[in-house]
Amino acid sequence: METVADSKPGAVVFDRRQLYRPFLERLNPTGSQSLLADGLVVAPDHDPRDIGRPPIHVAFANTAELTRGSQMALVGGIGSGKTTELLLTQKVLSRHPDAVNVYVDMADYADLSEISTGAILATAGIQLYRRLLKKARNKELPDAVKAAWVKLRALAFGKTDWVKQPPDPYEYEPDADEAYEVVRVHVPGVMKLRLPALRRQVVEILGQFLTIASSLESESQTTLLVDGLDRLIKPELFRQFAEQDLQALKGTKISVIIVAPLLFLYDKNRFLQDYFDVVKHIPAAAADPRTSAFLRQILERRGALHFMDRTEIAAIAKYSGGVLRDLLTLARSSAEYAYRDGEDRIGRRHVKAAVKQLGNRYLVGLGNDQKGLLRRLSEDGEFPMENSTARELLVNRQVLEYFRGGLDSLAVHPALARVLPRPV
Amino acid sequence: MTGFSTTIAFGLVRRLAAVGLDTPSLYLLIAEAAAIPAIQADIAAEVQVQLGVGLRHLAATDVRLDCLENAFARDPDRPVTLITLDRWLPKLATALDRNVVLLTRSGAILLLADPRAAERLLTAAPNLRNRLSDVLAIRPDEAFGGTVA
Repeated sequence: METVADSKPGAVVFDRRQLYRPFLERLNPTGSQSLLADGLVVAPDHDPRDIGRPPIHVAFANTAELTRGSQMALVGGIGSGKTTELLLTQKVLSRHPDAVNVYVDMADYADLSEISTGAILATAGIQLYRRLLKKARNKELPDAVKAAWVKLRALAFGKTDWVKQPPDPYEYEPDADEAYEVVRVHVPGVMKLRLPALRRQVVEILGQFLTIASSLESESQTTLLVDGLDRLIKPELFRQFAEQDLQALKGTKISVIIVAPLLFLYDKNRFLQDYFDVVKHIPAAAADPRTSAFLRQILERRGALHFMDRTEIAAIAKYSGGVLRDLLTLARSSAEYAYRDGEDRIGRRHVKAAVKQLGNRYLVGLGNDQKGLLRRLSEDGEFPMENSTARELLVNRQVLEYFRGGLDSLAVHPALARVLPRPV
Repeated sequence: MTGFSTTIAFGLVRRLAAVGLDTPSLYLLIAEAAAIPAIQADIAAEVQVQLGVGLRHLAATDVRLDCLENAFARDPDRPVTLITLDRWLPKLATALDRNVVLLTRSGAILLLADPRAAERLLTAAPNLRNRLSDVLAIRPDEAFGGTVA
């Protein structure tokens, strides 16, 4: 904590950075994988919507272990802890030696603004091949697997080929029969497929993926954990991936756990509930800050008691609204403000400043319509979920859902409520 | 624009020093358009003096959407990246929002925008907003005369 840095012999200079830096590193909300390894994650001990049920990661792992090939979706607001649940699931699944768990954050492999269907299968195939290569060490993989990998890579990233130029169409003389123009005529059948047919490219990628997967022991328990596609936000984009990539995997013994956009949960078509075998929903607020000790435990596990009193920890928990990422953001900002003020402990005013900053962040860009909806919710408890503007407030976490005593309830994010201007 | 805390480059870089460059940080800095060149120079100087590293500076119009990964790849000599949103580019905002994990992988990323662009970014990019370490209003360091106010 103290470093010798002064020119005077024996003088000890206090370097406050060394005091705060380890704490701030532990509050980094983006490093779940390393936090898990360091034991800094507090795993939930029950389903967020039902205290009588096991936590989501245990439920997912149980389903994947008992029903191979099942497909599960996890929905939740931004920053509600979906990635952490996936990583916890992966950890639970690893209890069996024959488990093959493939975790992919799609943003690591592809630009999410540009990807097309087939990308999940291709990414999973690439990861699986990498896993097989590592496992094989110096041994050769079967030729069919190596050939499938080459084809898969070409399908995923494209390739450049030399092809013969077709003859110049102006030199071509068609027969009289071929001179007729051919038009496409579709005669509808009596049935409509529930899910669209697989695209040719998806079928090709599936073929290569399955060849690579065939190298796994036949009784192994393979689970594909897919993160990142919830950032597409628009449900219809996600739906295309489900109807192609995930549908392609149906019938195989490969289980899938995928993070889906929250808006799907409010979709009238109930696609999510109809398509997936299991759907779990993490409310943005992981816990009710008034009644649960979970949020305080998270901060304490990361060393908060060395920097602040329980009163400040409770205030951070309260104004986080129960949102895990906001909890960490508030703690981190409070620490940065204390550091800025040259203080060794985080005080009430630092927390207050952090809460105001977070509230302002939620307030930016809200028009009168949104502010009106928020006021109605605060004052009368009314919130028109059928209204798309209202749903956006929910997805963007300006409004939070809580599950109390078996009932869902909604509230304006407490940090936003603190800065929300009153009508003139 | 809603009242965010105000800082100068010195205070901002001091925060980065506290956090350390091994911990990813993502800040949105809001400045009046006329002050942006002075703030860019202030940040570059403070990064060099306080952190002893170089600043990588990109204009939004220089960021290639098909090479986002390269734009945010870790550069050991210049672990602090300043991206000035010199124009409102909705496609870039969408790309940053969807691929926000690339921005929160390494070092410090500073997004500098005028109030209008900042407001649009915060509204159009909920994933990005969620990952921001903080949003700060920033003004030039007026240590020397003649700085744009």
